[in-house]
Amino acid sequence: MAGPIDPRLLKRAGATGQYLVASVVVGLLTAVLLIVQAGLLARGISHVFLEHSLPDNWAVLLGGLAAVFAGRALLSWLNETIAHRSAASVKSTLRRDILTARLSRPRDSATSSASMVTMVTSGLDALDGYFSKYLPQLGLAATVPFLVGGAILLTDWQSAIIVAFTLPLIPVFMALIGWTTQTATAKSFTVADRLANHFADLIEGLPTLQAFARARAQRRGVALGEEQYRDATMRVLYVSFLSALALELLASLSVAVVAVTVGFRLVYGDVGLEAALFVLVLAPEAFLPVRQVGVHFHDSADGVAAADAAFRFIDGARATSGTSPVPSDLRIRFEDVTYTYPGTDSPALDGVDLTIEPGEVLAIRGTSGGGKSTALAMLMGFLQPDTGRVSVGGQDLAALDEREWREHLAWVAQEPGMINGTVAHNVLLGHPGASSVDVAAALRDAGADFDGEKFVGDDGEGLSSGERRRVALARALLRIRFGGARLLVLDEPTAGLDSSTEAAAVHAVRASGVGAVIVTHRSAVMAAADRVVELGATA
Amino acid sequence: MMSRRTDPRDPTLRLVTELLSAVPHGKRRFSLAVLLASMASGASVALLGLAAWLISRAAEMPPVLFLQSAAVGVRFFGISRGVFRYVERLVGHDVALRMQSALRIRVYDKLAATTLIGRRRGDLLTRVVADVSAIQDLVVRVIIPALAASLVIVGTTAMLARFAPAAALVLLVTAVLAGVVLPLLAQRASRAADLAALPTRGALADGVRELSRTTGDLVAYGAQDRVLVDLLAIDDTLRRQEARAAWVRGIATAAQVVAAGVAVVAALAIGGPAVVSGDLHPRLLAVIVLTPLALHEVFGAFAAAAQTWTRSRAALARIADVLDADPVGTGDVTSSEDPAPGLEFDGVSVGWPGSVVIQQGLDFRVDPGERVALVGPSGVGKTTVAATAMGLIPPLAGTLRRANRVGYLAQDAHIFTTTVAENVRIGNRDATDEQVAAALHGAGLHLSPDRCIGEAGTTLSGGERRRLALARVLADERELLILDEPTEHLDTATARALMHDVWRAGEGRAVLVITHDPELVAQCDRVVRLS
Repeated sequence: MAGPIDPRLLKRAGATGQYLVASVVVGLLTAVLLIVQAGLLARGISHVFLEHSLPDNWAVLLGGLAAVFAGRALLSWLNETIAHRSAASVKSTLRRDILTARLSRPRDSATSSASMVTMVTSGLDALDGYFSKYLPQLGLAATVPFLVGGAILLTDWQSAIIVAFTLPLIPVFMALIGWTTQTATAKSFTVADRLANHFADLIEGLPTLQAFARARAQRRGVALGEEQYRDATMRVLYVSFLSALALELLASLSVAVVAVTVGFRLVYGDVGLEAALFVLVLAPEAFLPVRQVGVHFHDSADGVAAADAAFRFIDGARATSGTSPVPSDLRIRFEDVTYTYPGTDSPALDGVDLTIEPGEVLAIRGTSGGGKSTALAMLMGFLQPDTGRVSVGGQDLAALDEREWREHLAWVAQEPGMINGTVAHNVLLGHPGASSVDVAAALRDAGADFDGEKFVGDDGEGLSSGERRRVALARALLRIRFGGARLLVLDEPTAGLDSSTEAAAVHAVRASGVGAVIVTHRSAVMAAADRVVELGATA
Repeated sequence: MMSRRTDPRDPTLRLVTELLSAVPHGKRRFSLAVLLASMASGASVALLGLAAWLISRAAEMPPVLFLQSAAVGVRFFGISRGVFRYVERLVGHDVALRMQSALRIRVYDKLAATTLIGRRRGDLLTRVVADVSAIQDLVVRVIIPALAASLVIVGTTAMLARFAPAAALVLLVTAVLAGVVLPLLAQRASRAADLAALPTRGALADGVRELSRTTGDLVAYGAQDRVLVDLLAIDDTLRRQEARAAWVRGIATAAQVVAAGVAVVAALAIGGPAVVSGDLHPRLLAVIVLTPLALHEVFGAFAAAAQTWTRSRAALARIADVLDADPVGTGDVTSSEDPAPGLEFDGVSVGWPGSVVIQQGLDFRVDPGERVALVGPSGVGKTTVAATAMGLIPPLAGTLRRANRVGYLAQDAHIFTTTVAENVRIGNRDATDEQVAAALHGAGLHLSPDRCIGEAGTTLSGGERRRLALARVLADERELLILDEPTEHLDTATARALMHDVWRAGEGRAVLVITHDPELVAQCDRVVRLS
């Protein structure tokens, strides 16, 4: 599917490129130290073995060996540290981009808040493994085998040939195995994946099963599902461990072959003991990074998948807003506007024509799914028409500076969002500079029978949906009174909310000369309007 | 709510041993996996050790025949490492999967037997699913490798101790250091850093959730930049805290390399003079110096294993809490011992067993053909009243009589990933195809019974989900219907259309509606107010 390094990571997260360079440098230094280490070990052992005496520089040799290990320790620490720094930097970049992308699509509900949280936190954490385990090994694998292989070549070319012959076989075999088993793996993986969700499905459905007295009886289903799941998973594993088997086999067998060949040539005096030991110590080091790449391959898959999910989300972001100033004439016109939500067949808006005069109170009614909320979202600049256009004072809405445009609007959503803090915090969103007296007045006018000090928890916890609606209305009133908004935009509340206070609020707004667009079913609210139009009844 | 039985042993290890006994031949399979893993690691140590001996022996230029058996051994270890590893992974994953299955079934049994409806359960159910899989990680990535490595350490040290006891001792000490002490120390230190980062991670998650839920409002009111700056500040803090944890892990990795170095240098420093003094056969010098190199390579993955160890222990401790908790209520809806035509509450006090009374002295009845609304502010225990009415938990006081066959329509009814028909049959296992079709028709749902839900994007709208849940209720004869916030989160038109069909379906039956929708309340015959 994806390669070992997502090119988008390189292009858009600059830290990746710097890190790759750094890890190659670390890899080269590590290789040099490994060669020195093998040389010192071979020198020491062979001298003692052949001469039955310690070499003159014995202490220097031991000290040098210790220094080599200390250097390798330092390098591995360095590798870990820079790997983390790169991962952290890339994660921060992606986090910022994901959140910005989310803010550019206020209407996008395709990604739930739970999956947003996962994507931004634990999802991106998969990049830690990618950067700290997989990429360093990739850096080592790209450098160590060549230097080490070169050192072996200079010492004993016959052994170098064995290494040079088997080493490239590893990626070839892994690719071959991956290629031949791809269809089988994908198929059984899908089965295993479906069965894995079976248990989660039943556990999450337990309250429902209990309501129908089926929870205990479903135990057989759980047991059966488990058996199938294990069978399916094991079938995946039989195949997917094969490539690791090929890797280990090739790596250790070729070390064995090098050792045995060198051993026999030693008997005939074709090679010296020191060279033989040098080759023996170095040969496994040539294979180690390649083996580790295989071991950490799943970190790569997880990391690439996390980056892919992030980029897919980010790339779905809308183009930036226009720059034209908002005209003084606020007549809004929908001209033959059509919009179809991605992934659906029938358009939510189909050739809609609609005019909203400045200062007018317009009620929009229509059947469920008739596109009323969609029209409001378009007016807010949250969505753009597929065809046709929305204009303000003759200017295309898409060309306007969307922030400036929204300053003219005071919006109350179907289910308004609440931020953590107090009611006053939430009302102040309408105009951050307002005084507590103004906030209290706005709350009163919105029909709230609680004060601004009331605490609002996660997702509006502590307020009923009716109370949340009133807070949002107070927020909108504040924006009209102090923020200069000229149009109240009221989306229809969900079922179960009393909207008589809304009719009162609409009256108050109208008295101040500000217009309103209201999606509603309620006669009290419609009665407060200048005009009622129907959406979605006829195309 | 949850009480834990006292057991002196570590809950994780207790759980692991219990599960091993629950799996057929569990201990045998597990031992086989450990044995194979140690043979795989042992093979790579033996490969280098024996190769070192072979080369040293060859340097003495003996007749080639003398080298043959060693050469066969080297080749054997060269092949066997990969093969042992492959078989070990299969056996290990198999036993881990079996243990996971056993644990899943236990958890399911436990949760099925405790009443979940009306209980504040937060994300208990989602968390349980994730937590249970920790057993696999624990077995495959921690227990088996750790036991296998111990065997290899002991075996290798014992072999070397025969020729060079001092070098073997150093090897043992450095191996324990690199394989056990360092990973655990690093884990503890980085855990402290991770714990410090925990509130920051929580704050980040909360901030993202808030941003995601309020995007429309934030953008509409131009507050997006402020929120973004706040979140990026949290991200920055998190970054600094995570850097500390990474620093610790880096030190630990470096220390492992140092430990390997100590073992190798010590072996050479001890072995060299020993050869000169004649205490050690020269042939063995390469063996005792090179073996530690191969042995220490085994510990590379142990830092990660220590991390998995802490993480999976925490997950399994939570699972142990769930398993040890006393069951609450009956779990499944039970049949009434003293059936009434509808529902009668006579001085009933409602609350969770062993906990405080939530509502006291409830007196009301719902007769067949009647619609009664149960209203009250949120958090007052309306769903707990429903759970009591269904007989899921006993009333704490008073008497309660109800019809035998109760249908419960919940706002959060779960739709299972299967066909529409199977989802309907949750309401009546023995429903014929005709009954399923009739139930779907009654619920006003025009979906093919064979359509699969949840796969390949075939999802249902909020209204359709509510209707499918209604079809379940209609799949069987019910005398009493309890509707729990049936219109919550639906838009007005959808809610009205749904209730039209619900009322029609409930004709002639006793219907209790839990709601705070004024429109719904107005449609009921009577209202019971909770305070």
